[in-house]
Amino acid sequence: MTLRGTIVFSIGVLAALGAGWAGFPRVIYQTHRQPVDFSHQIHADKAGSKCDDCHAFRADGTFAGVPTLDKCSGCHAAAMGSTVAEKNFIERFVTPQREPEWLVYARQPENVYFSHITHVKRANLKCERCHGNQGTSNTLPPFQQDRISGYSRDIWGHAGRPAMTMDACVACHRQSHLEHSCLDCHK
Amino acid sequence: MTNSRRDIFKFAGGAVAGALFTPAPWRLITDTALWSENWPGIPRPARGEIRAKFTNCALCPAGCAVRARCVGEQPVSLAGVHGGLCPFGLTGHHLPYHPARLKQGPIEEAKAAVRKRAPDGIAILDLNPGRTVSWTYRRAMASLQGLYLAPESQPVAYDLSAAKTVLSIGAPLLDGWGTPANVNAARQNFRLIQAEAVESRTAVLADEWIPLAPGTERAFAQEILGALQGERTSVVARELTADGSSFVLGDAPEIPEINRLLGAYGKIIVAPSEAPVPEPWKKSAAAITRLADVPDHSIGVLLIDESNAASYIPWHFIEPKLTGDNPLVVTFAATRGGYARHAQYALPIAVYPELTDDIAPAVDSIHPTFRISVPLVAPVVTPPAGLANPADFVGALAGVPASNALRERADAIHKSAEGAIVTYADGKETPVKDLTADAFWKSLNQGARWDRPPGLSSLVPAASRSTLRPAEPIESSADLPLIAIREPHNPALVSPLMTKLYQESGLRLAPNRVALNPDDARAAHVPNGARAVLQTRIGRCSVEVTVDPAVPPGAVQVGGSPGIQDVCGPAARVKVVPA
Repeated sequence: MTLRGTIVFSIGVLAALGAGWAGFPRVIYQTHRQPVDFSHQIHADKAGSKCDDCHAFRADGTFAGVPTLDKCSGCHAAAMGSTVAEKNFIERFVTPQREPEWLVYARQPENVYFSHITHVKRANLKCERCHGNQGTSNTLPPFQQDRISGYSRDIWGHAGRPAMTMDACVACHRQSHLEHSCLDCHK
Repeated sequence: MTNSRRDIFKFAGGAVAGALFTPAPWRLITDTALWSENWPGIPRPARGEIRAKFTNCALCPAGCAVRARCVGEQPVSLAGVHGGLCPFGLTGHHLPYHPARLKQGPIEEAKAAVRKRAPDGIAILDLNPGRTVSWTYRRAMASLQGLYLAPESQPVAYDLSAAKTVLSIGAPLLDGWGTPANVNAARQNFRLIQAEAVESRTAVLADEWIPLAPGTERAFAQEILGALQGERTSVVARELTADGSSFVLGDAPEIPEINRLLGAYGKIIVAPSEAPVPEPWKKSAAAITRLADVPDHSIGVLLIDESNAASYIPWHFIEPKLTGDNPLVVTFAATRGGYARHAQYALPIAVYPELTDDIAPAVDSIHPTFRISVPLVAPVVTPPAGLANPADFVGALAGVPASNALRERADAIHKSAEGAIVTYADGKETPVKDLTADAFWKSLNQGARWDRPPGLSSLVPAASRSTLRPAEPIESSADLPLIAIREPHNPALVSPLMTKLYQESGLRLAPNRVALNPDDARAAHVPNGARAVLQTRIGRCSVEVTVDPAVPPGAVQVGGSPGIQDVCGPAARVKVVPA
């Protein structure tokens, strides 16, 4: 191959590498914003809330997940502070009694069974182990959804933060010598 | 510098080579695979709040307490509250979506046809007697001067905990006979002798299995009876009399007399105790009549309630009771498989767990109890096809209000101020007298169970009906070489998932199957899995054949489908021929 040919080929390689590593992740994920600008940090610092104050277990051991509007309305029936985010939240959701459609980063596919109570109460895992520093963050990260598979980047991708991907689950189970079978997690 | 076509190819080649070192192609392959698992049309489980609802299984009189795990409003799995559920109960939430379900019927036309003919020899056959709706039927029939028919006119209840020895002649004692929790709790206290031709599930779990020759169950019962009357000796009869607390289960007509001689009446066999009923109902209810006691050709209009039928009466027992002149038969059924094949009108009904109905007392329930099967799902069949409500249909014919009957019954129980209500959600037992009528009703509608505790109830001895039927003439075996052995009764509608159990576990014979000994199958020229015709003196029906060495020679084990039962009574002589 001539020098010119080598240069053209190399440009092709570099263009593909650039597109594949920098452009593709932007294209493949569709970014959605959460319906409310929620600050975990403010709730933790000012209200002294702990994770399980809002993300509680029910009496039967199932995980309630994202709190419903009733829980939020208990404190925010009227504005408690002066932030725009709180004002918007009350106007858009609390007053009309409309449930915010939260986007759940770690919602697992239908073929996966995940028990929060087993991991939290039995394995004594901290929430941060899987959810990173969400509990102390001031803003919620954008929800990135794979355009083709429909899955959240946090469960099937590289979110760049602790997430609930299958690789992360496998690594942790392997480290804890709890690799029994696929059916540990898969239905 | 000009770019040649060759440069474009080189650039493209480089891009392809470079792309292989990026996540893009590999990610696209994975994503496409994932997309193919999630494309439109694949059923998706409902999303929503996960919570538990409680109800009582209405598939059989055991009425097991059920905890349903619901996502949003949709039950996604059922589990027992006290002990487990049977496979039928575990898959009960599939039933409203069953493909064989009856979904439409000419309800108004049927009503008009019955009105036109009633009360000319009207009767209702209730295959699940003992419910509140049964009282509605009895009141309606009293008003129309009709007959209320039930499989047994004098039901009895068995106190298994009082038994030390049980002789079961072919009864499925450990396989769906009573309430599984009660039977299992009492099991370690009694010795079980199972006498039957096949090694059934009960026979396997019994302390002793006496293999009988097929068709000799009645002879065996006669031998026991003769021994108890001192006419002969029998080891089994000696065993039964030795501990003074024994009884015999089975269909043979000698059994009531055997139990009377064993002293089981009043001690183990008692009259079933019913939950309180409003006094006006009792005064205006028709008596319970056995179908066998009805004169032939006397029923002009027959209504049949098949909802959660506890038994199936073969059509050849019913047909002679109908008038010869164009009788009208209306059945309330979940499928076309039962009496719908013989009825002019088959009207669709709600099925468990979408129906609201109370549950008849189980055969081993000696103390009064009241439970409502609370709907877990909204009716799947909706107008304009709609579902028939048998109570409203029959009540309207006679002007008997039926829509509020369950509440009236609950109020009567509350008024008695006896017993306590058990709520499954919190496991609490609250005396009825501590509750208002509304709170009591609310608890019942959340799946709670009312019981009158043993201390407050007195066991009433059941009457022994010892009128022996004359021995039936023995059919000739020349042209019908095999003897039928019937499987225990199964619910009419079972989840399609059960077919997997039928096919893979061998625990149940599928309703349309027969099982033959390999020698008999060879003689009949029917291989395993083949379609065949089951032939009796009454008729013939199409079946599938399972060849099973566990079936004794000379017998054929038959499934419980109504089609088979219609042509094949107990111990009937049959022949299996290739289809």
